[in-house]
Amino acid sequence: MQRVTNERVLVQIGLLIVAVALFASTFGQQFSSADLAQSPMFFPRVILILWMGLGLIALLQSIRSDERTTKIDSWPRMAVVLVAALIYTNVVASEGFFLPSVGFAIVCLLAFGIRRPWLLILFALLVPGALVVLFNHTLGMPLPTSRFTYLF
Amino acid sequence: MLSALPEAISILLSLEGLLVLTLGTILGIVLGAMPGIGSTVAVAIILPFTLTMSQAPAIILLLAVYAGSVYGGSIAAILINTPGTPQSAATCLDGYPMAQRGEAGLALGWATVASVIGGLVSAVVLIFAAPQLAALALEFGPIETFSLILLGMTCIVSVSTGSVVKGLLAGMIGIFLSTVGGDPILGEMRFTFGNWQLFAGFNLLAVVIGVFALSEVFIRASNQISTVSELVSFNGVVLPRMKMWKGRVRNLAKSVAIGNVIGVLPGTGAATAAFISYAEGRRSSRNGGGFGKGEPDGIVSSEAANNAVTGGALVPTMALGIPGDAITAVMLATLTLHGITPGPKLVEDNPTLIAAIFAGFFIINLLLLPLGMLLSRVAAPILRIREAFMMTAIVILCVVGIYFVRGNPFDLLVMGGAGVVGFLMRRQGFPMAPLVIGMVLGPTLELTLRQGLILTDGSFPAFFTGHPIALVLGLAAVAALLLPLVRSMRKGTVG
Repeated sequence: MQRVTNERVLVQIGLLIVAVALFASTFGQQFSSADLAQSPMFFPRVILILWMGLGLIALLQSIRSDERTTKIDSWPRMAVVLVAALIYTNVVASEGFFLPSVGFAIVCLLAFGIRRPWLLILFALLVPGALVVLFNHTLGMPLPTSRFTYLF
Repeated sequence: MLSALPEAISILLSLEGLLVLTLGTILGIVLGAMPGIGSTVAVAIILPFTLTMSQAPAIILLLAVYAGSVYGGSIAAILINTPGTPQSAATCLDGYPMAQRGEAGLALGWATVASVIGGLVSAVVLIFAAPQLAALALEFGPIETFSLILLGMTCIVSVSTGSVVKGLLAGMIGIFLSTVGGDPILGEMRFTFGNWQLFAGFNLLAVVIGVFALSEVFIRASNQISTVSELVSFNGVVLPRMKMWKGRVRNLAKSVAIGNVIGVLPGTGAATAAFISYAEGRRSSRNGGGFGKGEPDGIVSSEAANNAVTGGALVPTMALGIPGDAITAVMLATLTLHGITPGPKLVEDNPTLIAAIFAGFFIINLLLLPLGMLLSRVAAPILRIREAFMMTAIVILCVVGIYFVRGNPFDLLVMGGAGVVGFLMRRQGFPMAPLVIGMVLGPTLELTLRQGLILTDGSFPAFFTGHPIALVLGLAAVAALLLPLVRSMRKGTVG
């Protein structure tokens, strides 16, 4: 039972379900041509069939094997960095480049064990600030700006 | 054209010429080394500055940036496992493992020498074989290109470290991702599920940087504090000694040839050349067994081929007026903006300009050696900063780079998503290189397959009956796919 519920097997099942769902979605859509070569779904279907076949083999191998996933030594640090990175990539476009970058840098540095406040603040301000000066004001290739000012 | 060479060389050796050659190469290396900027963006950044310059220096500046950026991509690929450009993604496969075992300087040395030789040979080829190569390019229709791409796809097997099945599965996921968005023949939308931001598909670089760089940051964040402080040690480029080249020259020559030929073919590009050359190197090199584990031949295969593409790609651009990829399309636009009409009469009408371009291209590749070594040395202190700062800076630079590719915030979400998926898949032992290979080669594979089926009225066997080049390439692909599988089945390591 443990073999069936380990992370490796669950990920393989997830990949297989995604492939089956995508394959099912290729039917029932209307396209201007249904010819073999001209059909927009011809190539993706071939690839999805191969994906499903290989996914099934990989799943069976995972069930049969005793192999385990790599151990995560620090769940909290990994979770903080992962969530911070996802929030950061989500808010850059709406909140501008500078402010989210400063926030992300502080959170990420804290998660990686940097505790000196002056080092934290210096790095968090200097790196995004230098990039804003370089791209927005020197190269004329503006990064997204915040809702408060057009300067950064 | 050769009679115009003295005048061309006097243009290149003038103050303006030398300045343009040196500054262009430096800018190219720096921009190429920044993850996400890439050759196309680097050339596009410089393009407006060329409008006030005269014809020859303007084109040479862009060429210097182009050649420099292709080399620069390998610096970030080797030192921080983040390909600066898609064409250096194959360099990560052996460059980073070498860096991890303390040979970052040597890895960069191999990359530098292979890049310089690849670029120099392609410059010579460009000078002497441009008309013949242009004629060869015309022999390659969709069916021949399909077979060539199929051969390139076989490198998925060779880069699938650990499990061939998982590698092939990752490759299929990569090819599938490349089908999202507009259909290449009819333009109809596929797998967008009503989301207009998917109409242009997934951005390749966003996925590449997500699965390589961002997932690496997550992996390092999940490691113990004691290992978190480990970074690659690097004190500057170490050039490989002569005796280290023993048994590798053939692989280098083959990679350069592959780069030149693929560069000439429209619609393929340096990333394709790098992966096809890598697959061939893995198959034929006497050190093939070490590919993916930090084998210098892997770096040589990738770097020699992607730099050799730069000269080859100029052949159809200038001789036929057909750009091979996005970068040569920008170059073509620059030629047109300067009142030059590319095409068969280009050499006849502008002998001095063409001689200056070809000779300039040769000098640029010579400059790559000292400038590459110098600029890599500048990068050394940056890499000695604590990992916490490095990881934070990588994420911030990735965001900047991806934003500049298309200025599309959706690409940032794709990068974030690819980072998480890459992290999860790497934890389960999935190699990430096949996913990238699938995404790089997938669009050409689909387009040429469907074009070929239209040409043969839907008959796939007809691909190989009336097309000898396709038949040879197809057989090579089957052999390249089956031999490692049979070998690993015998050893019982297919899983």
